Amino acid sequence: MRSFKTKTLVAVIAVSLLKIVSCTPESCFEETIALLKASMYQSSNEKNVAPSSLTLYGLNMEDDKIYDQTKSVKSALIPLNPSAESCTFIIGINSAIDTLTFWYTSFPHLISKECGYTFYHTLDSLINTGNEIDTVTIRNRYVTTSNEENIRIYY
Amino acid sequence: MKRISVYIISLLVIIGYSGSESWAQNQPPDTVILPIKIRAGADIIGPVIYLTDRNNLNIEGYISIDLNAKTGIFLDAGYSDYKYSQYNYEYLSRGYFVKAGVDFNLLKPETSKGKYWAGIGLRYGLSSFTSEIPSFKYDSYWGTIITTISSSSSMGHYLEVAPGFRAEIFNNFSMGWSVNMRALLHTGTGKDLRSIYFPGYGAGDESTSFGINYFLSWNIPYKRIKVHIKQEEPEETEETEGTESAESAGSLFPPAEYP
Repeated sequence: MRSFKTKTLVAVIAVSLLKIVSCTPESCFEETIALLKASMYQSSNEKNVAPSSLTLYGLNMEDDKIYDQTKSVKSALIPLNPSAESCTFIIGINSAIDTLTFWYTSFPHLISKECGYTFYHTLDSLINTGNEIDTVTIRNRYVTTSNEENIRIYY
Repeated sequence: MKRISVYIISLLVIIGYSGSESWAQNQPPDTVILPIKIRAGADIIGPVIYLTDRNNLNIEGYISIDLNAKTGIFLDAGYSDYKYSQYNYEYLSRGYFVKAGVDFNLLKPETSKGKYWAGIGLRYGLSSFTSEIPSFKYDSYWGTIITTISSSSSMGHYLEVAPGFRAEIFNNFSMGWSVNMRALLHTGTGKDLRSIYFPGYGAGDESTSFGINYFLSWNIPYKRIKVHIKQEEPEETEETEGTESAESAGSLFPPAEYP
């Protein structure tokens, strides 16, 4: 019995010491930017289908396009501006241009000690023009670094 | 490396002290008189680490009171001041912590003799601290933001299991270490701004943490108790007379000597 106790104690101490002296990774391997995930849906059949081409950029940021007539985009990743309460994007679907404006709140979030802090967002509302876009629905208001769909764009 | 050195020093203390005693085996008596003690000690690892890393100060002391030969009450308190910086943020945390719990000595009274302790401590820890992010840089499509998150107060708590060893090396003066395995109950902060470090626990973004203490302690005997020793039935063995038994060969502690 004493032998079992002693061995258990030694094992517990040995494992703990190994854990203490083991190397801690100091590099960040996680996603650090929270992007709004917008799935592209055809309104005729309600299927997740990529448009022929997708163009996306922030208002007054035409020189810095997020997507530039990109093909095969079934889910677009949209960066919200954490220093503003709303931001507007120009979105080109199949050559037709629409605008998409989001209202949201931003708050800091710790990713990890290695990666530091980022901004998460809570989506309040959105508005869009209807040249090519039919409707936009909110699926998940919380915009985080996880790979979860936030809105669906029907076109 | 510092921690490895502490571990090696601890082993040397154990081995050296064990070797200084006689290994004679005599028939133990039915009872043994043990001193029951109050101990007060201070951790030396925190100040030693601070000498090489001025960003991490941890001061800690404890009092333990033996209730009987096996069990004691453990009370611990400390102060911590922690700074951390990465390429994109800085973090500060400082505050106090207290721990309270029970220590169980796994050694038999005739082995411990009131001088040795090898066992496990179970503790509850409470930490009151402030944390802030003096600078935080965020790069995105919309440009670079440099901002701060102001100081906020929090209260976190956790459980701790602390196996360890302690030996009286001079009269009423002992040294010993413990490795501390902690399970986080609550950081006291929201889920978005979890504390990177909180006093007494360590990495607040982890559900478990590990640490080590090396205590120098002053012991005050306040009572003597008589402990009855359960006699074990001698095991039948095929070993020849004069051969050291497996148990005594593997033990860290010398058997008690009795007149």
